[in-house]
Amino acid sequence: MATIFPLRSFGLASDRAAQATTEGAWVRWSLIAVAVVFLGVFLFMPLAVVFASALAKGVSVYFAALREPDALAAIRLTLIAAGIAVPMNLIFGVAAAWAIGKFEFFGKSFLVTLIDLPFAVSPVVSGLIYVLIFGLQGLMGPWLASHDVKIIFAVPGIVLATVFVTFPFVARELIPLVQAQGNEEEEAALTLGASGWQTFFRVTLPNIKWGLLYGVILCNARAMGEFGAVSVVSGHIRSRTNTMPLHIEILYNEYQFAPAFAVASLLALLALVTLLAKSIVEWKSRQQTKQQELFATRQTATPTSISSAGANAA
Amino acid sequence: MSIEANNISKRFGQFVALDNVDLEIPSGELVALLGPSGSGKTTLLRVIAGLEFADAGTVRFDGRDISDRTARERRVGFVFQHYALFRHMTVFENIAFGLRVRPREARPSKKQIQAKVHELLKLIQLETLAQRYPSQLSGGQRQRVALARALAVEPSVLLLDEPFGALDAKVRLELRRWLRQLHDEIHVTSVFVTHDQEEALEVADRVVVMNHGRIEQIGSPEEVYNQPATPFVYNFLGNVNLFHGRIDGGTTYIHERETGHVVYVRPHLLEIDRQPNGGSHFRARIKHINAAGPLVKVEAVAEWGDPVHIEMSQERFRDLQLIKDEAVFVIPKDVKVFANHEA
Repeated sequence: MATIFPLRSFGLASDRAAQATTEGAWVRWSLIAVAVVFLGVFLFMPLAVVFASALAKGVSVYFAALREPDALAAIRLTLIAAGIAVPMNLIFGVAAAWAIGKFEFFGKSFLVTLIDLPFAVSPVVSGLIYVLIFGLQGLMGPWLASHDVKIIFAVPGIVLATVFVTFPFVARELIPLVQAQGNEEEEAALTLGASGWQTFFRVTLPNIKWGLLYGVILCNARAMGEFGAVSVVSGHIRSRTNTMPLHIEILYNEYQFAPAFAVASLLALLALVTLLAKSIVEWKSRQQTKQQELFATRQTATPTSISSAGANAA
Repeated sequence: MSIEANNISKRFGQFVALDNVDLEIPSGELVALLGPSGSGKTTLLRVIAGLEFADAGTVRFDGRDISDRTARERRVGFVFQHYALFRHMTVFENIAFGLRVRPREARPSKKQIQAKVHELLKLIQLETLAQRYPSQLSGGQRQRVALARALAVEPSVLLLDEPFGALDAKVRLELRRWLRQLHDEIHVTSVFVTHDQEEALEVADRVVVMNHGRIEQIGSPEEVYNQPATPFVYNFLGNVNLFHGRIDGGTTYIHERETGHVVYVRPHLLEIDRQPNGGSHFRARIKHINAAGPLVKVEAVAEWGDPVHIEMSQERFRDLQLIKDEAVFVIPKDVKVFANHEA
């Protein structure tokens, strides 16, 4: 988890240190200006353009574009794909992190590499893999066709591709966390009589919950926004195999700019909500550790004596 | 409950952690497993707890073979060096954990759990901190909570892995005395692992000295200190001077050359005098005197060039009025001789 700690002031000494390491005013301001201009041009402006273009032809056109049957179908399909991919990768990610973080076994580094594979491979290639396996000319194509199972150019293919590209998010987020926490708490739970599931739900899960939530948020954002892999396996059948990103592309190619940006604004909104949720999760988990650290230092600063107390114990 | 470990062996890859270890611990005793790091003491403790399974051998509790039982089934209380408290739970919840995870039919009522936890909080003198989180406690407090958590399930035996290892010196001293008192009150069979000989000798009823996956000696603190069975035990329990020696008519003479025998002498069993005593003695020159503390520590160089450590009472030091670079006679009062190949 990328955590940025705010700089704290340590009084006079550090102020003087800050003076010694700081630059002149014009250097500072021009650097800040460069950063602000960069962010404005590359991040803020495009976002503003999305919303401006979406509303260019008025609010009624905006809502009409969202209420249109093809758009509704695309939104529904996106929700279905994410609704299946995210829980699957949640379960898989936790299981993988548990196995990799807590145990030593043969082929562990191979498994870690495998988990990273979807990050390394271009999404288009991931989509093609599925076409080559499940497509009509593919490995399993004839068998699937004879059993009347349709995967490519249908919803299952889209779900599969989404699962594949979002595979590493939860696992990658959790593995370092689980590794850092070690085994001792779980061992303690076992000696206290807890079963495997009790240990997992009462000890392991609470310790990783913020990391897990963070991974799920990122996984969800990617699942809803995925274009490349889904585009290859979808076949672009309107109102049947179009997800939101694919629907936007079609509208755009047909020069229907306002409707295209209207649907795009939904995805942009999703991104903003994701960022907000992510910030809250980060802030929450940081708040927790900070508060505990604060108490910890206060506690150790006060000398405690138990020798006399222990003498009349029970 | 008595503990019996027979012929326990355990390897980690090429490393032999335990080599055919036999150990019997009578019910109600407080036993220390003492040894340097890598001696297998923690592995033995974890094998007894069921957190590690031995490659060979059996573990019995009260005569029952429990070698195949898991840690969960053995009902041991285990205390970890770094406490292993559940960080997201309060002190109260930590102690109550063992009772809460019991199957429904064996689980005490809410009231009973509350009563039990409060009883234990009283025992560890932390009643006011029940709602704190582990990170809000000092090291000593955390370890006491860990102990209370282990005791809450009324374990058949209590196993402690370097329980004071992560604490600073003063808290350590307080806590180990407290543990001794606690054991005198509750009498649960307890085994604790330590690499600190002082800790083992002060707290335990019996000390098990381990080295290289084997047990070197088992005995009361007095026995292992005064009658060490092997050179290793002599060396590990306190400071010692090593000399070459020769035995002649029941008297041991200290020699400057290789003789086939090694003489072990504790620093406080070497006496300094200005006259030779006619028997076993050698010449030395005083190099350094440290008079801080209850004993005066003198460093000298023997006539053949080896350093010699000597300890004497402040009184004796005042009588002698030793000065640096003075030539003196050193007289061993009590020595222990081992054949050379043993050392």
